[in-house]
Amino acid sequence: MSPLIGRAVPRVDGHAKVTGGARYAADTHVPGVTYGTLATSTIARGTITTIDTTLAQAVPGVIAVFTHLTMPRLVTPPSPYPKGFVPLQDATIHHNGQPVAYVVAQTLEQAQEAAALIDVRYHAEPAKVAIDDAPGEEFLPPPGPEGPQEFVHGDPAAGLANAHKKVDATYSSPVHHHNPIETSATVAVWDGDQLTLHESTQSISLTQQIVAQALSVPQNTIRVLTPFLGGGFGSKAPVWPHTLLTAAVARQLRKPVKLVLTRAQMYTSSGHRAEFRQQVTVGAAKDGTLTAIVNISNQQLSRTEQRVFNTSESSWMVYGCPNIHAKQLGVRLDLPTPHFMRSPEGPALVGLEMALDELSYELGMDPVALRLKNYTDLNPENGQKIGNQNLPECLKLAGDAFGWSRRNPTPRSMRDGNELIGWGMATEAHSYHARASSAWVQIDTDGHALARCGTQDIGTGTYTVMTQVTAEALGMPMNSVRFELGDTNFPAAGFSAASVTVSSVSGSVDKAARAARDAVIALAVADPHSPLHGAAPDRIVTEHGFLFLTDDRTRRDSYQGVVSRHGKPVEATGSFLNVPGYTTGASFIEVRVDPWLGRVRVTRAVAAYDIGRVMNHRTARSQVLGGMIWGVGYALTEHTMIDRHTARIVNPNLSGYLVPVNADAPKIEAFFVDKPDPTSPVGAKGFGEAPITGVPAAISNAIYHATGRRIRDLPITQDKLL
Amino acid sequence: MRVNVTINGDQRQADDVWEGESLLYMLRERLGLPGSKNACEQGECGSCTVYLDDVPVCACLVAAGQCQGREVRTVEGLAAGDDLDPVQRSFVEAGAVQCGFCTPGLVVAAHDLLRRVPEPSDPEIREALAGNLCRCTGYEKILDAVRLAATRQASGAEAR
Ligand code: FES
Ligand code: FES
Repeated sequence: MSPLIGRAVPRVDGHAKVTGGARYAADTHVPGVTYGTLATSTIARGTITTIDTTLAQAVPGVIAVFTHLTMPRLVTPPSPYPKGFVPLQDATIHHNGQPVAYVVAQTLEQAQEAAALIDVRYHAEPAKVAIDDAPGEEFLPPPGPEGPQEFVHGDPAAGLANAHKKVDATYSSPVHHHNPIETSATVAVWDGDQLTLHESTQSISLTQQIVAQALSVPQNTIRVLTPFLGGGFGSKAPVWPHTLLTAAVARQLRKPVKLVLTRAQMYTSSGHRAEFRQQVTVGAAKDGTLTAIVNISNQQLSRTEQRVFNTSESSWMVYGCPNIHAKQLGVRLDLPTPHFMRSPEGPALVGLEMALDELSYELGMDPVALRLKNYTDLNPENGQKIGNQNLPECLKLAGDAFGWSRRNPTPRSMRDGNELIGWGMATEAHSYHARASSAWVQIDTDGHALARCGTQDIGTGTYTVMTQVTAEALGMPMNSVRFELGDTNFPAAGFSAASVTVSSVSGSVDKAARAARDAVIALAVADPHSPLHGAAPDRIVTEHGFLFLTDDRTRRDSYQGVVSRHGKPVEATGSFLNVPGYTTGASFIEVRVDPWLGRVRVTRAVAAYDIGRVMNHRTARSQVLGGMIWGVGYALTEHTMIDRHTARIVNPNLSGYLVPVNADAPKIEAFFVDKPDPTSPVGAKGFGEAPITGVPAAISNAIYHATGRRIRDLPITQDKLL
Repeated sequence: MRVNVTINGDQRQADDVWEGESLLYMLRERLGLPGSKNACEQGECGSCTVYLDDVPVCACLVAAGQCQGREVRTVEGLAAGDDLDPVQRSFVEAGAVQCGFCTPGLVVAAHDLLRRVPEPSDPEIREALAGNLCRCTGYEKILDAVRLAATRQASGAEAR
């Protein structure tokens, strides 16, 4: 029987999703639910001088209006709560869009009408909202969870001095917003001192922990449920104030409260990718050997938090270079706290991959050859092997399929009629974290298995892939296995972010399932009624719901037979801590540019990745397709615009913030090296964030090839090419 | 006000509906039909697409009161029991569903396209789905799903 793992099985939750049956947080029906809404600040910096809620309270149906004067007192949770403060606790305003009142009413319309009638007066102070507003204010933030903000290896100055050719350029990208199609929602239901939160989160455990800290209640009094999530991309990985506030007002009012953020509120309530600027200097010897990589970056931080999210691992993890200097500066601005957004290591890699393209032209060397020349799988921090990351094979797989060898490197040399054609490429790379997880598997007397883990399916396919992992470990058909997640009553797992879910959770699910299988085998060999009675357990295999003797397959029993004779279900648990790692790949892009209008279309994309053993070719490919279109948005359209005078976001909606639409989608081919990672019981690596990381650079490099214009400030909008 | 409306073939009634209330709110919050999603409330994303008298509309932009005496069909009304509509089945089989939040609107929009244009060209598919945003899939598999559903309907084997 061919293994289940790897097979491109359709999503097990597909039926629920195409029929409208999948229940997301905001779909939760709770009898007697009341509706919360936030009134938010219209200034970015200053204090509330007066707040008058008289008119709001008079709106029919209004149950309560909480301001900083009346809101229950909450504790500001420590990191990883990313905000540094809880709103509605004092009169200070730290950013535009900060909650200044929380209204609860019988219906949403009543709450919204009341919120609009609150009269807030401020003492406003001048605000800074762009890196350019604060020259000279950048500083080196203290070390974060990823380590110090500065990395020096060898002698970068000497490396640059000895270089045959150098590139020294500044690259920048604006604020981006995640824009999952589901906006964040919380439904808080108290029953005595027990709280149930129906939450749109990428981390049920973290939600449980942070809410408990804010409310000063024991963690085990809170249950968090997220059976389905409508995308997150990082925006729902941390716990944000709206969740804390909703839990608190529901407790105060002794009523269930539902809060759904509006699309506009998502732009100030759940993080963003910080504005980013980097000066990249790279030098190489005549043969292309890198002599130095210097990447000095600066990014927006908030007034209340200084964690750096656009990190520079790629400066030292991808290429072997004896002299490296990476420095991650930050500047505090009067904006909401930024956070990670799908592929936070992407922005720094984008600059590096554009600089290497420039260097390839300086050297007169093919850009793929330049990367192959400098590839390493050793971590310069410790000299250790980084693990499976077969970049050379990825470059070959994708490059051959793309037809890269036919490329004429001269800019403006390829045309089709009036259109300029450009081919560009870039390396893709992202690390994935380690997270502990546990799982529970039960085999029932009817021969069916139920697996549970307190993880999440953020749209990536956890339900499906973990059903495959469970079924394969048990030796059962997939339709005999049910996998459940998204409930803090299940064994705990980490967040679904940092590309960690599959690589961590597959280990504990596999272990729990194998332990359950072994327990059933032990029952069979001890059972005088079993044809396997007395056999050596290590000579028994399980397939398709049956147990066989390896050398005499006529001696067989079934899960259903063994467990039903046992008379009660068999259960087992498993725990696992994955090894963190690094995933690489390569993307090759074709663009067509209208030279008169500056209009760019990405017409073809080919990518290859080393993601360890592919768990499901369909869901893995989906990550590539989704990542690729994110790269298109990053390179060409996505840009949160902030008015520098009012400090307000100008385009907090889906008509002004341009996420790619179906007409923007190129033809995409994806390849995988597909070799098991030895550190994982099932061979899996973390993957979801590697696609995208190089795509914006590959597109920019292709635009240079098409037009001869090097645009270093993303997105590359039409005006920049005119 | 009171609104009487036929939804997925059933006669339904909603009371205390506010004049400015959207059809989407009435469906989701009053009538227990949360399949249609709210993702922008401004007609930008298509997640709330439903049929109103056989014409696809953004339910967030239609006032609930406008539906008095009319027929609404939502994503919950496309399948016959466990028997999925060919469009729904094609979405699952083609891998057009990831997080699934855009899916209800896309399924209705694609369903409408195939009723009007049984064998759509790629530009026709792209045009018909232009108002539906998806942040997960990169769209390719959604186009595949519509092509697959069209082929199925054309072959007649699955027509209903
Ligand atoms: S919610 Fe109606 S179009 Fe977005
Ligand atoms: S599948 Fe997630 S938005 Fe389309």
